[in-house]
Amino acid sequence: MTTNALPQPVNRLITEFARLPGIGPKSAARLTFYLLRGGDEQALDLAQALQDLKERTQFCSVCFNITEEDPCQICADDGRNPNLLCVVEEPLDLLAIERSRAFNGRYHVLHGAISPVEGIGPEDLKITELIERVKNGHFTEIILATNPTLEGESTALYLTRRLKEFDVKLTGLARGLSVGGDLEYTDEITLGRALEGRREM
Amino acid sequence: MYITHLSLTNFRNYGRLELPLPQGVTLLHGNNAQGKTNLLEAIYYLATSRSPHTNSDIQLLNWDAAQADEPLVVGRLVAQLAAQTGEHQVEMRLIREKGRNGRSGRNNRSGRNGRSEYSFRRQALVDQRKVRLMDLLGNMRVVLFLPEDVQLITGPPNGRRRYMDVTLCQIDPIYCRTLSNYNKVLEQRNALLRQLAEGIGSMDVLPVFTEKLAALGSRIFARRATFLQNLAREAQRIHYEALTQGQETIRLAYLPRLEGNGNGRSTTTSNMEPSENWIQTHQADEKGIAKRFAQSLAETQPTDLRRGATSVGPHRDDWLMTINGRDLGSYGSRGQQRSAILALKLAEINWMETITGEKPILLLDEVVAELDENRRALLLAYVQKSTQAFLTATDPGMFTAEFLEKATSMLVENGRVYPDHQHKL
Repeated sequence: MTTNALPQPVNRLITEFARLPGIGPKSAARLTFYLLRGGDEQALDLAQALQDLKERTQFCSVCFNITEEDPCQICADDGRNPNLLCVVEEPLDLLAIERSRAFNGRYHVLHGAISPVEGIGPEDLKITELIERVKNGHFTEIILATNPTLEGESTALYLTRRLKEFDVKLTGLARGLSVGGDLEYTDEITLGRALEGRREM
Repeated sequence: MYITHLSLTNFRNYGRLELPLPQGVTLLHGNNAQGKTNLLEAIYYLATSRSPHTNSDIQLLNWDAAQADEPLVVGRLVAQLAAQTGEHQVEMRLIREKGRNGRSGRNNRSGRNGRSEYSFRRQALVDQRKVRLMDLLGNMRVVLFLPEDVQLITGPPNGRRRYMDVTLCQIDPIYCRTLSNYNKVLEQRNALLRQLAEGIGSMDVLPVFTEKLAALGSRIFARRATFLQNLAREAQRIHYEALTQGQETIRLAYLPRLEGNGNGRSTTTSNMEPSENWIQTHQADEKGIAKRFAQSLAETQPTDLRRGATSVGPHRDDWLMTINGRDLGSYGSRGQQRSAILALKLAEINWMETITGEKPILLLDEVVAELDENRRALLLAYVQKSTQAFLTATDPGMFTAEFLEKATSMLVENGRVYPDHQHKL
């Protein structure tokens, strides 16, 4: 989509947009020309937002969530249960659990899952930091809320092995039926897991 | 179960095909290279998500369409099914996109065989709803007969493993999921072993993948053992009663790669029962299998670390057919091998019907000409009993008038199919 017929700054923005996930060359050109035709203010606001994104955010030194201030709001909140820790793969997973409003403890973000195929080992994740935190903290329960994928489950299994030396209860999220779902359309493996994890009523 | 309608777009030499299909036997005749085999391949592909003729699925796209330098080329296979559970539609889309590197994920097979500036992906639909590829399997069940089937006996073990997997996956969705997960764990474990061999990577991650491999692998061992035992019993009966009139006995033995040395025939611990006998009595004991498999994985770990690969597990399994106690692959005559493989395939039909309560669709690609009178009569008896069967033949003259009278004939010519009724007069 970039050609010599266009000025270099236009070409450059098209190329940058096209590098983003979910955006192809045509969408990139459409976005670029939208901004070109729009008011100055809109383009400058976008530029400022992008700059702030990198300059005014950092990882929380306690839980490694993305934050503007260190420590982050959740870590600084005295109203939250300091004995309960939830380990997640990504900041977006933390956000999902926060939206549920069902958890009032602390978090630890790993920033990924173990996957040798992609060259990701424990040393590439915030695992050493997690161990340190558990060693020095007063946690009574740690919820390993990694994704129910092979990599997520392997990471949880690895963490279980590393954390079992501490006097702390290790739990995982229940696997099973989605709320509002249909038993009939649930796949065999999920249904099998749901049966394994059934509970007394 | 049978197909009522088949629709192909940009598949092999078919630009566009809309073909209503009848129950019973359909004979596809015509000269070579007109598209008879491609029709069977399309049906087989919808049932198994694999082609029997190529590992590079991008080759399934219509050549003319693929030649065009289009940003998007889509091949489409759709079958309408009438089954016990009602009417269903299964669909597979083959999508080739230009210049979208890294967007098709790990399943992108075009990198190795196709042209690298294209990405290739597949999309499966059941009843017009997008599903995972593995959820397509099991909606339509087929048994395929090919002249080269005899290579199952004489060829390398990966063909025999593929046979088990394709057949079991059509029936057993849990097996299919387990196998897919096993292969992912195996890939991770091997990647880690390679890193450790080079002195990078964490040794304390290895037990995690070993534990997962043992749990998933034991389920595959167990299901393969049960499957092969059922198939062996039926194949032996058909072979003994119908093919050799009580003259010869074939046996089919599962050789699980539960132990390190040899072909699963020897054990590292000398007082242990050989794994091929042991698995027969322990096929219901998944925990026991997992324990023995985990022990082998522990024993072979030093070797694995040196090789950078996992040396035991179902990915190294094999099975073996013997005739009157001798290895059929090495000592059997061509005729004996043909009879054995025919017995195995016919057993597969009966096994599928027993498990699902429905006869599978039969696909026979130029196999009838290869068989002598006795074997041909037996095979055609199964064909005539089936709910739906498709046979290809360059020369319909090899069939008896009586057989042709009951069959629907269609002429395949240059990517088109013409139903003809000349035999039904």
